[in-house]
Amino acid sequence: MEGLMGSYFTPAVPMDFGYNYRLGAYLERYLDGLKEKKILGVRCSGCGKVLVPPRMYCGGCRLRLEEWVELGTEGELVEFTVGHVSMSKGRLSQAEPFTIGLVRPDGAALPLLARIRGADPAALRPGMRMRAVWDPDAENEYLVLSHYEPA
Amino acid sequence: MRDVAIIGVGYCPVFVSKRNDVSIPEMISEAVWSAYRNCGLTPEDMDAFTFGNMHTFEGVNMPHLWSADHITALGKPIMRIATGGTTGMSAFHCAYYHVASGLYDTVMTVTFEKHSEGDAQVGLAGIITPEIMTMLSLGIDLTGGSGMCGLGGGSAGGISFQATSYLHRSGAGIEHIDAQAALERRNAAKNPYAHLKDPECTAEKIAATPMVSYPIRFGHICPTTDGATVCILASAEKAAKVADKAAWIHAVANCTSDPTTGNLIEGLITDPAEQMSCQIAAKKAYERAGIEDPKKEIDLVEIYNGFAHQTLMYLEKLGLCEAGEAHRMLERGETEIDGRLPVNASGGVVSTNSIGTSALNRVTECALQIMGKAEGGHQVPKKVRKALAHGWGGLMQYNTVTILGDAPLKR
Repeated sequence: MEGLMGSYFTPAVPMDFGYNYRLGAYLERYLDGLKEKKILGVRCSGCGKVLVPPRMYCGGCRLRLEEWVELGTEGELVEFTVGHVSMSKGRLSQAEPFTIGLVRPDGAALPLLARIRGADPAALRPGMRMRAVWDPDAENEYLVLSHYEPA
Repeated sequence: MRDVAIIGVGYCPVFVSKRNDVSIPEMISEAVWSAYRNCGLTPEDMDAFTFGNMHTFEGVNMPHLWSADHITALGKPIMRIATGGTTGMSAFHCAYYHVASGLYDTVMTVTFEKHSEGDAQVGLAGIITPEIMTMLSLGIDLTGGSGMCGLGGGSAGGISFQATSYLHRSGAGIEHIDAQAALERRNAAKNPYAHLKDPECTAEKIAATPMVSYPIRFGHICPTTDGATVCILASAEKAAKVADKAAWIHAVANCTSDPTTGNLIEGLITDPAEQMSCQIAAKKAYERAGIEDPKKEIDLVEIYNGFAHQTLMYLEKLGLCEAGEAHRMLERGETEIDGRLPVNASGGVVSTNSIGTSALNRVTECALQIMGKAEGGHQVPKKVRKALAHGWGGLMQYNTVTILGDAPLKR
């Protein structure tokens, strides 16, 4: 587990330790919605904004959010980036370039972070119309909303 | 509240990738004794200590207690603070509260990071855990320990949205980020306590570095640095007795926005480059310092820029120029060491990033410039009466501001 290497003390840290976090009522309902190909948000009774992914409180108004809203599966590209590096178990490596964007679903005040596929990054522009692509057979429910592509 | 002065600054002798010759507390002690030497005080003068370093990066649970004897704190009050990139300035603010409140007359802030002995990427993967929960719900697969790199390149991936938004809204181009990075690496060459030094650096040289996560190139990104910084604060009475030179604290302020989706869009804020918390903290600091027009009254700035576009973006967010004007100031040479408003004469965080020290270094660099004590050729030629130090940290949604002056604040 540990030893001396040269003049260093090099304890091995057991990295397979797992944390165990509860998603919470709001994200659980959001994930249930994804299984039905629905993107759910919550509307603030103060500012009227629809927040997605849903959360319990509006930070700006300091109000508890109660009104659930179904959002459009199309939306607007806000910003995007192209990644060239990936990491697995603490190791960085060069990756095939992949595109990630912020997509604001129709009816929402906030954008979602999502993979962008089916588009040449050079052709992407903020403000472009996008549509959700679903993968009902995804291994994890959070991957059912697979990615967005240009509408 | 009492007036508080910075009367001493201490750095470890070098800021480099690997300090193989010393342990963590040994390295910290170098900065502590440097600060004592620089202001002529001794450990008997010190009433209390505040201590800052990043959580999880070295995997050391209580570094402030481990190093208590090395920093001359045995038998004295101490508290450790960790707020992310802003850690150093938060620890400094805490020391200010100690003295301004009247509880203590002389307080030392001790900060360090020894990146080479830990793993910053593993640290970041842990730090952003709450956000991983959100990202999972968004359909980004971050399993398999990919952490922030699921975003396309560590924290560079997380910050790329901020950079693209800044570029789209300001009219600046990626070539301006290249030029800003080059300017700071040249400044760093004149700072004995900087890490990445390149006296001949050009925008073209930066532009030739690999793209990590558009528009962030390798040359736009800070290094991981081993280093320690110490700052000694004193009441006006103590300063009058012991200090030949001092920089006076006119204002401190900090502000957070929402961390739930913080790395990317700051919660309710939909512009990734809005940095609302920076704007609020700056406004509060100007009020406290009695500054009506920061564009005219601030003589020098040190900005926390883990990534080179942030120097330009924060100049605008701090109200030191109009929106869309920062890259024009860069083009006109106004932010150079001998310019109208020197920005990051030290080389900035993009040249030196031992994270626990980085936000404190913004303050100590402003203080040294006011005292005329900046070494190695990076002392600015103009007289610095008021200087602003900025810190950026938390989950990317937290900002700190400190304003220093060459005399106590007229109240």
